[in-house]
Amino acid sequence: MIAEETLVAELKHKDSQARAFEVLVNTYKERLYWHIRRIVLNHDDADDVLQNTFIKVYRNIDGFKGDSKLYSWMYRIATNESLTFLKQKSKKAGISDEELKMSLVENLQSDVYFEGDEIQLKLQKALATLPDKQKLVFTMKYFQEMKYEEISEVLETSVGALKTSYHLAVKKIEAYLKAD
Amino acid sequence: MGKDKKNKFKTPEGYFDNFHDRLMDRIQQEDSQAEKSMIPKSDGFAVPETYFEDLAPKVIAQLEPKEVKVVQLKSYKKIYYSIAGVAAVLLLFFGLNRNKVDTVTFDDLANSELEAYFDTNDFNLSSYEIAEVVSLDQIELSDMLDQNLGEEQILEYLDENVEDIEDLNLDYNDYD
Repeated sequence: MIAEETLVAELKHKDSQARAFEVLVNTYKERLYWHIRRIVLNHDDADDVLQNTFIKVYRNIDGFKGDSKLYSWMYRIATNESLTFLKQKSKKAGISDEELKMSLVENLQSDVYFEGDEIQLKLQKALATLPDKQKLVFTMKYFQEMKYEEISEVLETSVGALKTSYHLAVKKIEAYLKAD
Repeated sequence: MGKDKKNKFKTPEGYFDNFHDRLMDRIQQEDSQAEKSMIPKSDGFAVPETYFEDLAPKVIAQLEPKEVKVVQLKSYKKIYYSIAGVAAVLLLFFGLNRNKVDTVTFDDLANSELEAYFDTNDFNLSSYEIAEVVSLDQIELSDMLDQNLGEEQILEYLDENVEDIEDLNLDYNDYD
């Protein structure tokens, strides 16, 4: 795999930009897709947000100073794009953010790209009741198996606070799953 | 058997040598058991076949500037020269009278017209997009309100209307 610094340098250079961007997309497409998909739930929406994320990365690469790692910078863009997308969607539909989240979960039942059973559907309902931050921490740790240090760079939150958030999220989800 | 010179307790041979490894194994085992207990390990999402293979070309296609059709100019040269001649004459004629014509500027629009325009057109701007063009330094709450609000009224409003503290975009560091 190409070193991150080399990739960034190539992305900033006009002659190597196109090839480097293809490498960037192919390296991060799956990780970013699943991160976005777990926020917006629907495949088509995730596809839109993922493409917008990569386009923003391409257009703003000159502004990337290297203070954080490239992947955490991209994860941050993906997270912001996903949350903004949901806010715009609820605004367009004239419903609250919570109503939108619940309707997205309800729609999963007829979604051809959701193969979950009853317990997985219930898990999504439980996740929809969590505050955004707790849900993000939980999915990044539990499903994407990211380290706390990596999540800390993306969400700009201390490792201690993340551990508390994760613990609370697990407790709430378990309580939801246990209830009838 | 290992011995401690100061007391008579004994430990099995090599007990301390691999203590750390055994401890870490146990922590890992407990962690995974706790996670396995209730929450499913997969969330059931799927993607269309070949979605990831097709993605890179799809994204790259959006970045490339659209090709502009090149029109051969040579054969039209004579026509262009004559059009340019006529245009030059017209430009000279109208150019001399230009100062007499009043041009409409942005300042000529009445505030009421601007307000009516913004009221009737839906721009669909998110608060983030507005924040990108209007900096906080340039704006005061009183710019948008006819009456001044007291701190007490603002707190009362937030208390009644904000269900989730995260909506306020406060610093999360100490949250939870």
